[in-house]
Amino acid sequence: MTYLKSRRFIGAAFTAITMLSITRTITSNGDLTSTVTIAQALVFASPIALAGLAGIWAERAGVINIGLEGMMILGTFGAGWAGWQWGVWAGVLAGVIFGAIGGLLLAVAAVTFGVDQIIAGTAINLLALGLTKFLAIVLFTDAPGGGQAQSPPIKGDIPTFTIDSIVEPLTSLHETGIFFISDLAGILAGLFYNLSLLTIITFLLFAMTSYLLWKTAFGLRLRSAGENPWAADSLGVKVVQFKYAAVVFSGMLAGLGGAYLSIASTIYRNGNTAGRGFIGLATMIFGDWRPGGTAAGALMFGYIDTLRLIDTGNQNVKGLILLGAIILFAIGGLMLRKAKRNSAIGFLLLGSVMIGAYFSATSFPPEVAQVAPYITTLLVLATASQNLRPPAADGIPYRKGDNH
Amino acid sequence: MSQSALAVELSGIWKRFPGVIANSDINLKVASGTVHAIVGENGAGKSTLMKILYGMQKADEGTISINGTNLIFNSPSDAIDSGIGMVHQHFMLADNFTVLENIVLGSEPKNGIRLDFEKARKQISDIAAENGLAVDPDVLVSELGVGDRQRIEILKVLYRGAKILILDEPTAVLVPHEVDELFNTLRDLKKEGLTVIFISHKLDEVLSIADEITVIRQGSTVGSVNPHTQNVSARDLAEMMVGNELPNPEAVGDTIQAEVVLKVDNLAVFAKGGKAIVDDISFQIHAGEIVGIAGVEGNGQAEILDALMGIESATGRVQFKNEDITNKSTRHRRELGIGFIPEDRHRQALMLEAPLWENRMLGHQTRTPNAKGIWLTPRSAKADTKRIVEEYDVRTPSIDILASALSGGNQQKLIVGREMSGEPKLLIAAHPTRGVDVGAQAAIWDHIRHARQSGLAVLLVSADLDELIGLSDNIKVLLRGKFVADADPATVTPQELGTAMTGAGEVA
Repeated sequence: MTYLKSRRFIGAAFTAITMLSITRTITSNGDLTSTVTIAQALVFASPIALAGLAGIWAERAGVINIGLEGMMILGTFGAGWAGWQWGVWAGVLAGVIFGAIGGLLLAVAAVTFGVDQIIAGTAINLLALGLTKFLAIVLFTDAPGGGQAQSPPIKGDIPTFTIDSIVEPLTSLHETGIFFISDLAGILAGLFYNLSLLTIITFLLFAMTSYLLWKTAFGLRLRSAGENPWAADSLGVKVVQFKYAAVVFSGMLAGLGGAYLSIASTIYRNGNTAGRGFIGLATMIFGDWRPGGTAAGALMFGYIDTLRLIDTGNQNVKGLILLGAIILFAIGGLMLRKAKRNSAIGFLLLGSVMIGAYFSATSFPPEVAQVAPYITTLLVLATASQNLRPPAADGIPYRKGDNH
Repeated sequence: MSQSALAVELSGIWKRFPGVIANSDINLKVASGTVHAIVGENGAGKSTLMKILYGMQKADEGTISINGTNLIFNSPSDAIDSGIGMVHQHFMLADNFTVLENIVLGSEPKNGIRLDFEKARKQISDIAAENGLAVDPDVLVSELGVGDRQRIEILKVLYRGAKILILDEPTAVLVPHEVDELFNTLRDLKKEGLTVIFISHKLDEVLSIADEITVIRQGSTVGSVNPHTQNVSARDLAEMMVGNELPNPEAVGDTIQAEVVLKVDNLAVFAKGGKAIVDDISFQIHAGEIVGIAGVEGNGQAEILDALMGIESATGRVQFKNEDITNKSTRHRRELGIGFIPEDRHRQALMLEAPLWENRMLGHQTRTPNAKGIWLTPRSAKADTKRIVEEYDVRTPSIDILASALSGGNQQKLIVGREMSGEPKLLIAAHPTRGVDVGAQAAIWDHIRHARQSGLAVLLVSADLDELIGLSDNIKVLLRGKFVADADPATVTPQELGTAMTGAGEVA
């Protein structure tokens, strides 16, 4: 079982690096797999990953958490407000606590009162948005360095680690441009370059979640609340308590994700989350409500976002379009092997269109540059998310004693 | 294994729900190491009693004694701790979990905080081997069939070390050879010294497996029999189950007219997976005729009614008067003059959170007195609601209160009143007097009889056999989706009918 899993993981990583490598070689754009790109991608991916992880906790216990965005917003605000006054770690703590309050609110509405979970979550999103905007005006307008829509800078830094003895040789290996080897080196070096302690914590939280939810009795009981709470109740599992614990912890993780955002940009700013809570939810679905897939989804978003932001002269966008085409061809080939002719033709056609776009255009209008990353993401999501297995009682209000 | 020791003793159990008394003064003694069957009609209070014994519900009065000790159960965990396990009628399994996960949930073997999968796997295969219950612990439950799922439920209970097993209608979902397997398992368990409480209304099965049988009727224990020492037949049990106490709902005179109102040919309804729930039935109802369907609940009655109303998709042909309505919408059927009193009033007949007069409009929302053209006419709808409240004796302070505030019996009276409004040509009725008190019951019967005289055709499904015999002009016995017998209400007794319903014998 574990052998199979690790073989699949290595296979997936190998495929991904090969595709990147092909794209990099054709475009001769070393940025695609450079140390700096990968390091930055980790920074962008972490908050999304935390939101996705938060979604896993709530939904595995059967509560849809569409309020992730709101809980993240609360986290960004908490971090900005406390970080500005008492330093960065106080900011982290405040972000987590504020997120937990959002989670508690959802738990009270959805678990205790059985309110429709989508509506309760949306209400939390609106509430968080309005409340933080209002509080920002009240608290930050007259503060030195603050404004109506942003906090003064957060004091202090989260420690980051660069392991020179690993990074330097790998980076020079990356610059040699050897197919595959060079890309693998760049990616590995990126993992040890300017690595934030918060990113390490994020990684540990993923590992902890995998273990707790799937290897312990606690996790089995928590997941039973999301699969069949009536059955769980009939076996003496305290369903309501598990749901509360899961949703509040979900809020804490989302809050931490928000704090990460504020700390990465050194201030709280209105609208800093920019929908990352929802993107986190999407990565959770992409990841089939499991930590591994969710992390992969978040890394993909982070990577594509990075390419867009550090782009010079549209080269990265061109690269992305080529990457999209390669992915489409690969999937088309797979479909052919599985004898699904019609879908195969569809994928190959789309791939050809993108190849055409790549070779015919010398530059792209800025709008395309903005949208291209999301199109690539959409393509991956649409094709990869096939046999999903959401928790069976996800989103269904549970009342003790209800006959089911 | 002493036969005299009591594993379970329930005395003086009462349980009331708003509008219903589910259990009244129930007394039950189950000897250790026996299979003890509890039989009774649907709604007699068997399931409620077992939920009380399993700690899912609390009795209003009475005592529970397990192995001679008086205990109070606040939750299923308390019952599990005293060695009681329950196999629910509707399986309590998480489809996305493996067999192992479903079995150990709530009492997992641990190694530190880690769930010890190896130990769990070993324990499960040990218990499975001991009792001849073969399962693969690592497959997902969603991949398993009904028989396997039931084995998992039994394993779940045994894994928790239960010495007393409650099985709530375990054979309802099984095919005959699976029933045989289950009974073999139960006999094995009995040999191991376990006590089995077996709930059913299939009398032939009960007689073949039980050491003692307790009969429950209308929430009370009627009596116990021992099939080994006493010579009892399914017929005797049916007699005890049904009783003879209700007022007589006799329909006087022959009012059957020549006109065929409903003609059904080869109607069939299939479950997911292709099993026929309603299996190729044909019948017709004339104007002024009441056709009754007798059958133990769950043999296809609900599906027949839903198919006739166009709610459930079905194959076959349905003709109303001379119109083929097989593919017509439910609304079209209602507008033609078909009234419908469904089995589950909360799910299909009422908007609980709406006032009575809005409920009056439901199903008649396109017709007078509720609507004119595209506009609703609340004023005349309200006036007509008042008429129903008076004529059908709906006890309510006002027609503006929410339907949820009425007791079940009064809700039922409102529904009957509504469906009898607008001079329907055909009434499709399931348990029209269920939950209604004796006086109002007689009134509803009068209304139906009266309408029958002026040409109403009625399809009647009822668990109340006296009602069925008294009202119907013809009775058809439904078993596993098929009509297996016809009965003449003039000569048949409830006992004979009850026997035929359970498949235990033929009708005279």
